Amino acid sequence: MKMEDSIKQIRLEVTKTLSSRRSQQVKRVLLGQNVNDGLVAKLIIFVLLTVIAFLYLQPILEMISTSLKSVPDLIDPLVQLIPRELYWQNYIDAWDGLRYVEAFLDTIFISSMGSLLQVLSCSITGYALARLRFPGKNIFFVLIIVTFLVPPQITVIPLYMIYDQLNWLDTPLVVFIPALFGQGLRGALFIIIFRQFFLAQPKALEEAAKMDGASIFRLFFRIMLPLAGAASLVVFLFSFVWYWNMNSDAAMFLSNDFTPLSMRLNSLTAELMGNEVVNVGAYGKDPISEGPKMAAAFLIIMPPLIVYLIAQRWFTEGIERTGLVE
Amino acid sequence: MNSEKGRRKGLFVFRMQEYGVGYLFMLPWMIGFAAFVAFPVGWSLYNSFNTLYFRAGGFSYTWVGLENYKRVWFENSNYRIELITLLQELVIIIPLILIFSFFVALLLNQRFPGRGAMRAIFFLPVIFATGQVVMELFTQGAGELPFIEQYNIEAIIHKNFDERTAASLVGILSQAVIILWYSGVQILIFIAGFQTIPKTIYEAIRVDGASPWESFWKITFPAMVPFIGLNAVYTIVDLFTFPFNSILGIITSNMFSPTTGYGYASAMAWLYFALVLLLLSVTLGLTYRATKGR
Repeated sequence: MKMEDSIKQIRLEVTKTLSSRRSQQVKRVLLGQNVNDGLVAKLIIFVLLTVIAFLYLQPILEMISTSLKSVPDLIDPLVQLIPRELYWQNYIDAWDGLRYVEAFLDTIFISSMGSLLQVLSCSITGYALARLRFPGKNIFFVLIIVTFLVPPQITVIPLYMIYDQLNWLDTPLVVFIPALFGQGLRGALFIIIFRQFFLAQPKALEEAAKMDGASIFRLFFRIMLPLAGAASLVVFLFSFVWYWNMNSDAAMFLSNDFTPLSMRLNSLTAELMGNEVVNVGAYGKDPISEGPKMAAAFLIIMPPLIVYLIAQRWFTEGIERTGLVE
Repeated sequence: MNSEKGRRKGLFVFRMQEYGVGYLFMLPWMIGFAAFVAFPVGWSLYNSFNTLYFRAGGFSYTWVGLENYKRVWFENSNYRIELITLLQELVIIIPLILIFSFFVALLLNQRFPGRGAMRAIFFLPVIFATGQVVMELFTQGAGELPFIEQYNIEAIIHKNFDERTAASLVGILSQAVIILWYSGVQILIFIAGFQTIPKTIYEAIRVDGASPWESFWKITFPAMVPFIGLNAVYTIVDLFTFPFNSILGIITSNMFSPTTGYGYASAMAWLYFALVLLLLSVTLGLTYRATKGR
């Protein structure tokens, strides 16, 4: 009798521990060992991020939807995000209004040439700061950071006067010459990226090349610059996108003949405003110009968007590699 | 003796050559700095103490000392109000961006499927947030958060704040999404910052029985303070060229106005710069004190 009792007890204990172990296992999968690695936590994080991302992208979705709406769809308050039918005429109007092909080629030319020059000048400067020895290096480094902080409002007036004197206004030179001398758009940031990259390279390679009697120029252009391919690509991509979006500089220096895409939207808007303005009911804006304007905006951001989709990894890694974070 | 001298000379020559190469590599940047930064900055400062007028064949300068600054500050009340409004807005916008990007970075730092795609989404606006396109979206009213209208938050704000503060608050809320678009780089910097905290510290504090809440405030947050400062500086610099920033427009319009001219516009720009420097030094000072205290 006693024996039986104790056996029963043992059996009970065993099943208890077994079941609790299983429940623990389930609990661990669901909730995790830490707060943040269980399934439930992951699900919450995922849902939260999806909602934020949707809010974040809402203006873009709205832009695309507006660009595909016809005028009756725009006025109709029942039509929300999805238009009744896709109205491509907006894109045709925007394409013509922006003179897209011509402006596209101009912008590509400015952005890619400017970016190439920036890669060249910023890599040279970054290399000097990372590897070469000369007095006053720290002062130079501080000055480079200062150039990043000077607001464009200070220099825009004198620069306008200088460019005017040199007859550079409305030519791509206003982009190329500063880029050639390391003062292009956000050049300071690119110099820092290159400096950080070169600092991380092993010194042995340069020492070996020097032993073999390579001159410093040969060493830089034949060995170090090709080695910096990844950094160069990051700088090129960022510079390209920022030149593409360049706005305040373009508005000052490139306003007449040579107008990049980012500026064409203004003139398009002005043209559209020339049409008769019809305000209809609750829809407070001008429904006739709204569609083409949004189509134009989408056409303008499309090329950098495609570049980003292809080279997305380089962009995000690029920031992490700037060495801003050490 | 002689050989000693020769060696020294050789060393000197070698040094000079080495320095020469260094300066040679810096030369393009130095030329660019002199021509496109130092000279314009100096000229702009000089201009701000003068009245400038276009004449046939050039400018005529008249030295007026601080007159331009006085006129900008005391006569043109409009500009002063714009500056103060901008400062007010920045004081709201900067914490908004910092908190948002910190929160999103914290979420993105966890492991879950599709993390790479999510990161790409939050960085996306950096690619296309051009002035013109953003302005267009803004005039279309696309930047509003949906729940603001739903819960009638505008009325609540108007009830609880005085008129001017309420107006700028409502203005910021109506562009909230687009303002948050300016946090892409900050999110990445925060994520990279999280990587600098060693995992072992979290394990140690867990063994010691700290709750996740405590470990966030005791470990994560203090370690991130320098990155918060860095991001604050980046945000301030980034907002110089913010398309809603009306200052540039005012300066440009005064440049070509016959009654004011370049000198006056330069004084405006310098006042603006002073404001920005003030903001930057406050931020840096706060960061420095917060990190030193540890």
